[in-house]
Amino acid sequence: MSGPASAAVAAPGFRKLLFQRPSSVVALAVFLAIIAACFLLPALGVTEIGGMSVRNRLIAPGGDHLLGTDAFGRDLLGRLLVAGQVSLGIGLGVALLSSAAGILIGLVAGFFRRLDTPLSRLIDALMAFPDILLALSLVAIFGGSMTNVILALSIVYTPRIARIVRASTLVIRELPYVEAARALGTRTPTIMVTHVLRNILSPILVQATFIFAYAMLAEAGLSFLGVGVDPRTPTWGIMVNEGRQYIDNAFFLILFPGLAIAISVLSLQIVGDGLRDALDPKLAKET
Amino acid sequence: MTFRATCRASAAVIALCAGGPLAAQGTVDVAIIGDPDTFDPMLSTKDVVSIVTQHVVETLYTFDEGWAVVPLLAADMPAISEDGTTYTIPLREGVGFHDGSTMDSADVVASLERWKDVASRGIAIADNIVRIEATGPHEVAITLDEPYAPLLSLLAFSNSAAAIYPEEIIAPEIDQVVGTGPYRLQAHEPDQYVQLVRFEDYAKPGTEAGERNQTPDEIRFVPVPDTNTRIEGLLSGQFDYADSLSTEAYDRIAASDVAEPVLLEAFGWPVFAVNHKKGLMTDPNIRRAVQAALPYDDMLFAAFGDEKFFQTDGALYPEGWAWHSDAGTELYNLNDPEKAAEYLEQAGYDGQPLRILTSRQYEFHYQMAEVARMALEMAGFSVQLDVVDWATLAQNRDNPDLWDIHITHSPFLPEPALTSSLFSTAREGWDDPAKNEILDRFTAETDPEARQAIYAELQQRVFEDVGMIKIGNFNALQGKARGLEGVHPSPWPAFWNAHRAE
Amino acid sequence: MRSYLLRRLVGMIVVIFLVLTIAFVLVRLAPGDPASLMLGPDASPDEVAALRGRLGLDRPILVQYATFLGNALQGDLGRSLFFNQPVLTVLANRAEPTIFLALFSLMVALVIATPVGIWAAYRRGSFLDQASITSAMLAASVPSFLTGLIFQRYLATDLGWFPASGYGGAGADFAERMRHLVLPSITLGITNSALILRFTRASMLDILGEDYVRTARAKGMTERRVVLRHALKNAGIPIITVIGLTFALLVSGAVVTERVFNLPGMGNLVVNAVLRRDYPVIQGTLIVVAGLYVLVNLATDLLYLVVDKRVRY
Repeated sequence: MSGPASAAVAAPGFRKLLFQRPSSVVALAVFLAIIAACFLLPALGVTEIGGMSVRNRLIAPGGDHLLGTDAFGRDLLGRLLVAGQVSLGIGLGVALLSSAAGILIGLVAGFFRRLDTPLSRLIDALMAFPDILLALSLVAIFGGSMTNVILALSIVYTPRIARIVRASTLVIRELPYVEAARALGTRTPTIMVTHVLRNILSPILVQATFIFAYAMLAEAGLSFLGVGVDPRTPTWGIMVNEGRQYIDNAFFLILFPGLAIAISVLSLQIVGDGLRDALDPKLAKET
Repeated sequence: MTFRATCRASAAVIALCAGGPLAAQGTVDVAIIGDPDTFDPMLSTKDVVSIVTQHVVETLYTFDEGWAVVPLLAADMPAISEDGTTYTIPLREGVGFHDGSTMDSADVVASLERWKDVASRGIAIADNIVRIEATGPHEVAITLDEPYAPLLSLLAFSNSAAAIYPEEIIAPEIDQVVGTGPYRLQAHEPDQYVQLVRFEDYAKPGTEAGERNQTPDEIRFVPVPDTNTRIEGLLSGQFDYADSLSTEAYDRIAASDVAEPVLLEAFGWPVFAVNHKKGLMTDPNIRRAVQAALPYDDMLFAAFGDEKFFQTDGALYPEGWAWHSDAGTELYNLNDPEKAAEYLEQAGYDGQPLRILTSRQYEFHYQMAEVARMALEMAGFSVQLDVVDWATLAQNRDNPDLWDIHITHSPFLPEPALTSSLFSTAREGWDDPAKNEILDRFTAETDPEARQAIYAELQQRVFEDVGMIKIGNFNALQGKARGLEGVHPSPWPAFWNAHRAE
Repeated sequence: MRSYLLRRLVGMIVVIFLVLTIAFVLVRLAPGDPASLMLGPDASPDEVAALRGRLGLDRPILVQYATFLGNALQGDLGRSLFFNQPVLTVLANRAEPTIFLALFSLMVALVIATPVGIWAAYRRGSFLDQASITSAMLAASVPSFLTGLIFQRYLATDLGWFPASGYGGAGADFAERMRHLVLPSITLGITNSALILRFTRASMLDILGEDYVRTARAKGMTERRVVLRHALKNAGIPIITVIGLTFALLVSGAVVTERVFNLPGMGNLVVNAVLRRDYPVIQGTLIVVAGLYVLVNLATDLLYLVVDKRVRY
């Protein structure tokens, strides 16, 4: 669990330290470039999916279509970028939602002694469900949609954040200046937000980065199993899965979305590692 | 891997293996698309159930390679009364069931009664059946209230089959299926394999039914739901036969020295089934708008990739079939958004979304739906494409509130009346009076040529009233190990004659 | 020590109780009547009523919940709608490939990750350190179904080194079955090796910073010997801990890997159950897997205690 050391790390520190790990900076740049490409290029009309023209299906990369065309004759690059919006959106959605829920549960568990045990056990119980398995079950019960996938994955990853927040809260609440604030009559929610939350933002950011990456991989897995997001909204996972039947005549159909997932997930993890090392070497032990 | 059971053991057995096509030969491994959830073909219309159970249970009649009805458990074709309502069917004698009992007319009557009560195709004609009775120890008679020409095809079909069981096991649910077929069920591990072994006391049918030589000792069906995995299994020599492969893999299979492709030309027809019960498509002008707007050739191209694998053909039966006709096909492949827009205008279309229900169980369904959506939107439709998983689709298509069009496909069936969506009782609920009148005449007529003429009228009506929307013909791809012989290409391939060529 | 054990056990019981509750609530939250949902639209009202009776759906929800808990504690997780067998029997029939897949892939991951992780820690900060970690992370960043598909295609089909799919079929002996697990285990092992590698490296760095290692170094031992003599001896701890950590990862990975290689394990079972809406099997798998997770973590914690003691004193 994260110790008091992480609490001591403030935001300015990590900016400085990030630059001590050039690989993290490169990874961050790559990831930001991917986001920019996915959201800006289609919006600016640089790429477009184009209508279907089935006579132009499975054109190899190069020429008019930089990355080739898919089975419907649509521009692969254009589709890849639009699908990226959804894939990245799922990753971000899960990271945000599980962080928010995790912070709330963790703070409450850490601050209110009576709620600590039940909430901690609930966190333990939720952690016992493997991500794909729980997401599969939820999708089976509530139907496959982007919302349900985000919800399911958020439920699975919330305990990771909650655990960290709870542990940090337990430490921070005993720190002299927090006790002082309480003695001065500051209300508990105010203490939570001003003292605790500010101090644990960095480790949460690290975890959220990893969750972002895991969620993208999990979404790809669900698409492969045929129960993920509605296939009308393409994601990279869906595109790889669609490309499987063309593995012989158009390998690029799985290559490019596969690379998009791998590069995004890899760069997120390097950024996360860099952040973690920078923020607290002790944290590096954790997953 | 293959034929290991016998061929591995000893020199003596190897000699047996080499003994030519009629000698006993090890195991045939067949990759199928899913687990047959029942071995009672009366209760199922799934192709995978037919493929497996045709080896185990038999029907009174069957189809030969040219799709003519021929006797199987019956000794001969039936004697049909003058008025065409009574079918007297002689039974073969000395046919043993897997449980050791011998088939007689009581077994047949009990089985046909059950078929009438529980099989979807039996229920559909139950009202026409006056009685089923034993007229001798080896003779049964079926009496109808009016002539019904498709009866024999129904009795011969392996799907919702009129299977013959021993009277003793007849119950609404049969736990342990007992048949007369050349193979009996040895073991079933759900999702893993179905193991059939030779039935040593098999009584072979007459030559018309085709040879059933029981060449393999064992036939194993392995459910492999993923297409890619089926292909890899076939190409790595794990399977002797693999059903339902993506046509995209044709070249790769053809280039392999382990396996070869089996292309079933004009295998079947993808169809946009129309909801006539509720919703937008109950308006004939909306139906005509869809019919006019669809880009049939592009849909086929997107779905099957190469003209080698499809034909842009509107006729409900392709050339070469007795049922082939051009009637009404001038309305096929119009690809005319303006005309569609006119129909929409006439219908007073208000932009209510047209709901197309499909799944990716069959990728080509989804691909056709995507191309159709674009064309329909260009014609002025607002389209809601509902892509769901197979279980949801199977559920939702039975609820007329949930869809306007759903996508399906069928092999070309030996008898048009086996196409259940032509009947107003089907889930599509096409209850057009003109069609009903033609269909009644069609099922009552027994003269083959007259039936062909009536069928042309029926096809005309399918197009005029847009009873359903046939997209075209497609070829199916299966694969077999190089050197495997004795398997006739079919939507329901049978393996009782399978053997390795020397 | 004893009070720790007691606390740990009580905590575990509470967690298992919560797991059961979550599994119960999930299926009850499904929109619509569970009985008609399970039977599908073809079912007659009589059949639905019969199933409602069998499942006890006509009783108050708390009674249902109590019955569910009682049955579950006696090992009765209901009957599969598809197999028409007790869920526990169905799961037990599918356990072998999943258990061996998990074990073998863990071994593959350890074999790859432990030496590389120690090496990376030993050469910390070097290019090799960075490169080995980055490549392990890259391997873990590719969706595992894609890795599996490519392995299957090239190593199994084209080169014929391994079986492409399945579990050997009827009557396959143990060796034949295990042969079918080689490629799936490598696929899953590679995916999981990155986590173990990072963990090993971090633990190693920790150990290298400990006092006794510093002492050894101060006594003039070469870095290489320090690593081999002291650090390696303590590698048991990270290995034990990582088993607990990767359990959930292994199960999730097994679901996908079993699908790619058509292995008849619990992962493939649950996917089929989802596609068939076999709710009792889905629910039962959730309970069993979560229960195993809790047990594995308890076991690793206890093991850790034992090993840790030996290390410290």
